[in-house]
Order: sequence, then structure tokens, then C-alpha cells
Amino acid sequence: MNQRNHLGEFEEIVLLTVGILYDDAYGLAITDEIEQRTGRSVTISSVHKTLMRLEQKGFLHSHMGGASEERGGRKKRLFTITNSGKEVLREARQMRNALWQAVPRVVWGSGFGSLND
Amino acid sequence: MNPNPNYLPPRLAARFLRWYCRSELLDEVAGDLYELFQRRVEVKGLRRAQLLYWFNVLMFLHPDYIRKRNQQYFRNSIAMFKQNLLLTIRSFQRYRSTFLINLLGLSTGLACAILIFLWVSDELSVDKFHINNDRLYQLLEENQNTEGRWIGPFTAGLLAETLKEEFPEIDYSVPARLVPEGNTLSLGDKSLKAEALFAGPDFFQAFSFGLTSGDPSQVLTDKKNIVISEALAKSLFTNPAQAVGKTVAYNQNQEFQVAGVFEDTPANSSLQFDFVLPFAVYQEMNANTLDWNFNTTQAFVVLREDASLAAFNQKISGFLQTRREESNTILWVRPFSDAYLYGNYEEGELSGGRIAYVRLFSIIAVFILIIACINFTNLTTARATRRLKEIGIKKAIGVRRSSLVFQYLGESVLVAIISLLVAVLLVGLFLPQFNSITGKELSMMVEIPMMLTLLGITIGTGLVAGAYPAIYLSGFSPLKILKGGGSLGKFSMPLSDLLARKGLVVFQFVVSVILIVAVLVVYQQIAYVQNKNLGYTKENVLYFDLEGKAAENLETFLNEIEQLPYVDNASSIGQTIVGSGLNTFGIDQWEGKPEGVEFPPFEMRPVALGMIELLNIRMLEGRTFSPDYGSEEDKIIFNQAAIAIMGLDDPLGQKVFIRGTALEIIGVTEDFHFASLHEEINPLFFVLRPTWTHKVMVKVKAGQEQSAIDELTKFYQAYNPGFPFDFRFLDEEYQAMYVAEQRVSTLSAYFAGIAILISCLGLFGLSAFTAERRLKEISIRKIMGASSAGIVALLSTEFTHLVLISVGIAVPISFLMARNWLDNFAYSIELKWWYFALAAAVTFIIAWLSVGLQTIKAALINPVESLKNE
Repeated sequence: MNQRNHLGEFEEIVLLTVGILYDDAYGLAITDEIEQRTGRSVTISSVHKTLMRLEQKGFLHSHMGGASEERGGRKKRLFTITNSGKEVLREARQMRNALWQAVPRVVWGSGFGSLND
Repeated sequence: MNPNPNYLPPRLAARFLRWYCRSELLDEVAGDLYELFQRRVEVKGLRRAQLLYWFNVLMFLHPDYIRKRNQQYFRNSIAMFKQNLLLTIRSFQRYRSTFLINLLGLSTGLACAILIFLWVSDELSVDKFHINNDRLYQLLEENQNTEGRWIGPFTAGLLAETLKEEFPEIDYSVPARLVPEGNTLSLGDKSLKAEALFAGPDFFQAFSFGLTSGDPSQVLTDKKNIVISEALAKSLFTNPAQAVGKTVAYNQNQEFQVAGVFEDTPANSSLQFDFVLPFAVYQEMNANTLDWNFNTTQAFVVLREDASLAAFNQKISGFLQTRREESNTILWVRPFSDAYLYGNYEEGELSGGRIAYVRLFSIIAVFILIIACINFTNLTTARATRRLKEIGIKKAIGVRRSSLVFQYLGESVLVAIISLLVAVLLVGLFLPQFNSITGKELSMMVEIPMMLTLLGITIGTGLVAGAYPAIYLSGFSPLKILKGGGSLGKFSMPLSDLLARKGLVVFQFVVSVILIVAVLVVYQQIAYVQNKNLGYTKENVLYFDLEGKAAENLETFLNEIEQLPYVDNASSIGQTIVGSGLNTFGIDQWEGKPEGVEFPPFEMRPVALGMIELLNIRMLEGRTFSPDYGSEEDKIIFNQAAIAIMGLDDPLGQKVFIRGTALEIIGVTEDFHFASLHEEINPLFFVLRPTWTHKVMVKVKAGQEQSAIDELTKFYQAYNPGFPFDFRFLDEEYQAMYVAEQRVSTLSAYFAGIAILISCLGLFGLSAFTAERRLKEISIRKIMGASSAGIVALLSTEFTHLVLISVGIAVPISFLMARNWLDNFAYSIELKWWYFALAAAVTFIIAWLSVGLQTIKAALINPVESLKNE
């Protein structure tokens, strides 16, 4: 896995959220979704910057959506995950799974044992 | 969730976002923030939502979101600048005559403005170099009599020191008396004449004449002390550093010890003197300085920093009444540095003074600059047709109007800056000449503020000159230009532009005509003053100070001079006959003097025998002083004005009283102009008092002046050793009274010449252009049989009309201005119609000459040449 394809933790969350929202993934909706699902407080500007970075890396694709009264007449930029975005998510997941599996069971077990001390 | 239109994000924040945010990102960011804001208003209230909106806007300030504008713009503008510069230089090369006319006009105008600017800033700096300038005041006396208000700077010798004792507001107080003539300083057998100042002990603390040696507070406290200038120290002592402590003789009869040396008085000081003696010395020599009723002295005070001028003037206004009997004189102070520019006491009134000339020349400078700017504007707009294609193509490919404006402004600023360089050269060339006319020591100071001002004036001139062409040229519609082919003649000027251009030409010629009239009037008045019969003979009379042994044996001295070859006669007088206000007396009593009426002071002239005859002053009745009648000390001779003011019908033999002395009237002279012609002839009287006389006057044979001077010098040096023979001619002194007018006369002649030159340059350029534009018309007319003369007339008519209108406007204006100026003189020329006619004629001739050359050239062309291409 080369450097270019590396996903940071926040990037991974944003990328996944774009997937969750499917056809209505734009800045503010993504921010809301992250806040609700993770309970973290994130600023809209950091989400925006991450979206831009992901698009530059080729993991996201965007197009302009319609304007609405709700947004003061401004258009939304709607994001969808590209194939390489799906690829990198899968890679990340596989890598994590592989790492999980590499952890000896005793690591988890000793946790219980030590409770009895 | 519907947004509530009543709740909007903070406008400033929204604008800020729009301003910095990249346009492709603006929609999503602004939209998200708007949505978020609306939601927050519901949940958190308007205040917090607005605050958070601001916060969000600021959070987006990130390089990725900020518009990239600067770099790109900068690169572009350098390229544009190079391109514009190239176009400018090409257009200069292509239309050389236009460029040269512009350059010549602007640089002459700028050179004039720079010279005047140097002069004005020098005038304004006079007397402002004293450290105490803002609290240094001069005392003035003011009184009211039947003749009107009288204000004068001379006051009683005791005033300054007395005021200091009585008013705690005063820090320093200085009585001072300048004595420019009649001072000889000697060291051993070396003697020289110098200008003296007698001043109180505070002098060097109140005024900032820097001492190179000596303590400012001490040098004038001792009556045995003298303080001399560096220049004087250099000429008296071989080594000026050794001057202090040495003894010098004053007028060969008093000795003083040098207590200090001061730096030579700067050129921008109105007080000019070579050495300073304690005022106490002057008081010993002149007892009337101890009398409150004699005005012998000027007085200066430095007020404390916290003192109020108005309150102080209030306090001292009645002070003189406490010292004098029956005085209604009011005392007040005004800033010392005002005296130079505003201190015209000549008619006993504060009547402006030099500030009038400062204003006058500033106005002239501005007008000359405007005329130069007008040329530029006119020529550039007139030749606009030549650059129409350039403008049309530029606009068609999308050049913005603002960048065209910028290009043409840049062009005119460039011409202005080149003109500045030429102007600086011109100034350097003419500065010595200018200095000799104005009597100044101006130099091109290489100082930052000065350079900045010049650059400011230049760029300002460039902008003013270029503004109209820039807006005018950039406003053309590209379609019209390109469709019309951009050829000469097909593009018609809008009427308003023609009017504007003609208006500017008219304005130029109005100014020129006014300046020509000014030159004529000033010149005529000066000639009148010089040639006016003054009622006495001033030619071939020379005079010098009466001092030393000559003063002790006046009668023998005068007799021996009269024996010299080439000398007609000799006598002596109190001061020179020229000038007024220096020695006045009131006449206390005469028969039939009305009670309760105040009379103006009478001029007194103490004389020795033969003075009235020497000056050729004619007697109206009676006789002059004569040795045939024994002692004549109790006799008096009045002038006609004095007899008229006293109201005496049969003056001869009547008695008048001056300070208790009875004097018998033996003669009445015709009026003669002893003062400047600015003034009416004032009452005057002669008394025979050889011991009060200070000047010897000698009339020499006409044409033999040099031989007479040689004889006199030889005789004087033998007779009066230790006193240099320093003489002047009376007519020179008379002319010195009109130095200011002489300068105005010379300068206005130069400026008028320059204004006309610049105007004609403009006319020359314009007519050349018109002739060129109408070339085909002229050719066709010629083919149809028009004569060359007819064509010259055709082309000249337009300009003739313009000049005619200018003359029509200028004559009334110049008439009023001339009338106003001549009112400064009590005796002046009549304004004659031919001054104006001459000015108009000169303008016409010059205008025709500059137009004529072009029109004749156009009229003489071979029509085939210009039509063969059609």
C-alpha cells in the first residue's frame, strides 16, 4: 500500500458516511451524519477540507446538485464514492481484519484474568 | 424546514466569505453555512447563530478556499505595462512634433512653477527660524487722528524693559534699534563700515542668532561689550577665533570689548546687521530714548508658553496712557514673523505687504501650469483619431475601459516626468538670473520634502493633463471606430468635445492677454515713477555720513569740499531727503490753531546752509536760510502741504511753537515728493540746525562724476582719517524704494512671455492638426478654383474667433486688476485704452503667426498629391 492511498481515520469515516448517505451526500448532511453516528463534534470546515482532499485523491466524485430556498439559493455539491474509493475502503477493512486476526487470543483473555487480581 | 427570511446570516460575514472564497467553491460553502445558520437560529437563537456563522466563515480561511488572484494579476500587469510603454514610446516617435510641443510646453510650465515655488517657500520661511517663533511678538502702537488710523512699529525706548517689570507673562523683552548707516568699526588702522543693531540684554535669548562664542544671557549685559558677526570678525581679525576679548573702536570715539561672535545673519532673516551693541549705549547717545514721548525704538517680547495672546493684548492696550500725558495710543503685539509678509506700515496702515506678491505669483504659477496642461489635453484629444484603430482593436478583444484609462494616464504622467527632468535642467540654467531679479539666494535644495513636492506637482500635472484624454479616448465605441475604418475625417467629434477644446483655447488666451496688460501697466507705472518731476533734483547728488573730524568742523569741511574741482556745492541734512516717518514732530501751537483737533506729525529736516538750493527745491514764497540775516536758528520753512494743513493764509512772518521754542516762518517751498509715490505728500518743515545733521550731500558736475568721486575720496581720506569714504547717489536710493515694483515688472514680463509661448505652442499644434484633417477639403476647394489667400482666411477664421472671444473676456478683467493695483499708488498713471488695444494686437499677431505658418503650408499644397489616392 503506497502513501497516496493511505486513508486517515477521519478520512475513512467521511468516506464511509458518503456511502451511507448514498444520493444525498453533501457537506452539511455528512457533518450531521458523522455527529449523530459517532457522537463526535466536528466542524463543517474540516469535513469540507477532507472531502476536497478525498476528491483530489480520486476516492470521491462530485457533481453540483440543485439549488433550494433552504440554502439561500445556493447549489449543493453532491459526492459519490468512486471505484478506487471503494477499493481503498475495502483495503483498509482487509488490513484491519488481518491485523485483528494477528492479535493472539490471550491478549483479550488476559484482560479478564487480571480482573480477578 | 423552511428558512425564515427574517433571519439572515450577518451581512458583513457573508460579504467577507463571498470576497475571499474561490468562486467554484462558494456555492457549496455558502449554501451549507446558510442551512446550518437557519437550523441554529431555531435551536440556539439569532445571536448565537450569528456568532457561530462568523466562526464558520473564519474557519474556512484556508489556502485551498482563498481565491488566487494576486499572482496572476501581477504577471499580467507587468506584461501590460511593458506593452503600454512600448506603445507610448512608438507614438512619441511617430508623432514627434506633438510630443515635442507637449514636452516643451510642460517643461517650461513646470520650470516656471518650480522657480516660483522656490521663491514662495523662501518668502514664507523668512523669520520663522527663531526657536521662540511661536511666542515671539513685536509691539505696535496704534492711534487715531483726523488723518485716520496710524499703526507703527516704533515706540518709546523705555517701553520694553518697563513692560518686563510689570507683566509676568513676559519671558524676554528686547528694545532694539537698527542703525544701518554711519557706523565705523576700527582696529588699529583698519576701519570699515558695518550695520549696527542696538539691543537689550535679552536679545540673543529671544532671537535665535547663534553665538559661536559667548554666553547668550551675558554678552549684552555690560555697556563696554560688543558682539560681532563671523564675517566681521574675519575682516577685522586675521584669526576670528581670537576676536573675543579684543577691543575695537566705534566711530573713533568709543571703545568696546568683543564679548561674543555670532553666525552671520541668515538670508531669510528680516533683521540684518553686522554687530550688536548694548541698547544702553544707544540710550547714552540719544537722550530722547529716555523720554516716553519719543518713538525711537522697536520692541520685541517673548511671552511665556502658558500666556494667552488675547489676554495679554487686553492687559497692555492702555499701558501707554499711564506714562504719557494725553495719549490715546493703544499698544498691542503681533507675531514677529508676520511682520515680513504682512507688515506694510508705509501708509500708517497695515496694508498687506509682501504676501500680496506671494499670492500673486502663486496664482501665476498655477495658471501657467494650467495653460501647459490645456495644451496637452487639447493636442492629445485632437490627435485621438490617429489612435482610433488601436483603441478599437483593444476594446474588441476585451480590454477593459479602466486599463485604457490607465494606459493614457500613464502616458501623460510619463511625459510629465520627462518634462520634469528637462524643467530641472532649465531651472538650474536660469536660477542665477532669477536670483538676480528677485534679490534672493535660492538654490535647488536636494531635500526629500522638496523632491517629494516636485514629484507630487509633476505627477499631479500629468494626471490633470491626461484625465480628459484618458476618459475621452477610452469611451469610444469599438463598433463605430472599426466600421468607420478609423480614417481621418470620417470620425466626427461630438459637439461637446469641440466646445470643451475651444473653451480651453479661450482660457489660455484670456490668461495671456491679462498678463500682457499687466506687463504694460506695471512698466508704464514704473517709468512714470522714475521720470516724474519730484520737485527736487536727484541727479548728480551723492551723499555720505557726516562723522569724525568733519562733524566737528562742519562749516570748514563743507567750504573745503566746495573748493574741490568738479564739485558744484555741498551742504548737510538730518538724513537723506528720501523716505519718511523717521523723524517727526508735532507742531504745538500757531495762530488760529483749532482746539481739540489732532494733527498728523510733521516731517522734520534739519539742514545746514545751502541745502534747499542744492536740491533745487523751489520756493513758493519767502526766502531760504541765508547767512545775511545773522542767526537763523529761530526760523522755519514749511512745505506747501504743511501750510495747507495748518490753514495759514499769510504764513510769512507768523510764529509757530515746537516744544516751547518759538520759530518764525520765513519761507514756503513747493511740494516735493520726499517719500515714495505710494504716499501723498506729507507736511514737512526745514530748520537750520547744522549740529543735527548726519548726511553730507554734494552736488557734482554732470558728466564728471568719476573725477569728482576721485577728488572727494582723496580729500576725505586726508581730512578724516580712520573713516572709510562710503558714498551713495541719491537717485540710486530713490530707485531702491521701488525695488518691489521693479521685480514685479521684470518677472511679470518673463511670465507673460512664457504664458504666451506655451499658448502659442498649443495653437500651433492645433492648427497643424486642423490643416492636416482638412487636407482633402482644401485640395478639392483648390481644384474648384479657390485662391491660396482664401484658404488661409478659411483656416484662420476659427482661431481668430477664439482669440477675439478671449480678448473680449480678458479686457474687463485686466482693467479691474490694473485699476486695483494702481490704487496702491497715490500718484499713478491713467489707464489708457491703447494698453488693452496693444495687448489684444500683440495676442492677435502672435496667434496669427503661429497659425499662419501652418495654413500657408496647407494652402500651397498641390491638390494632386493628396487626392491621387482616392
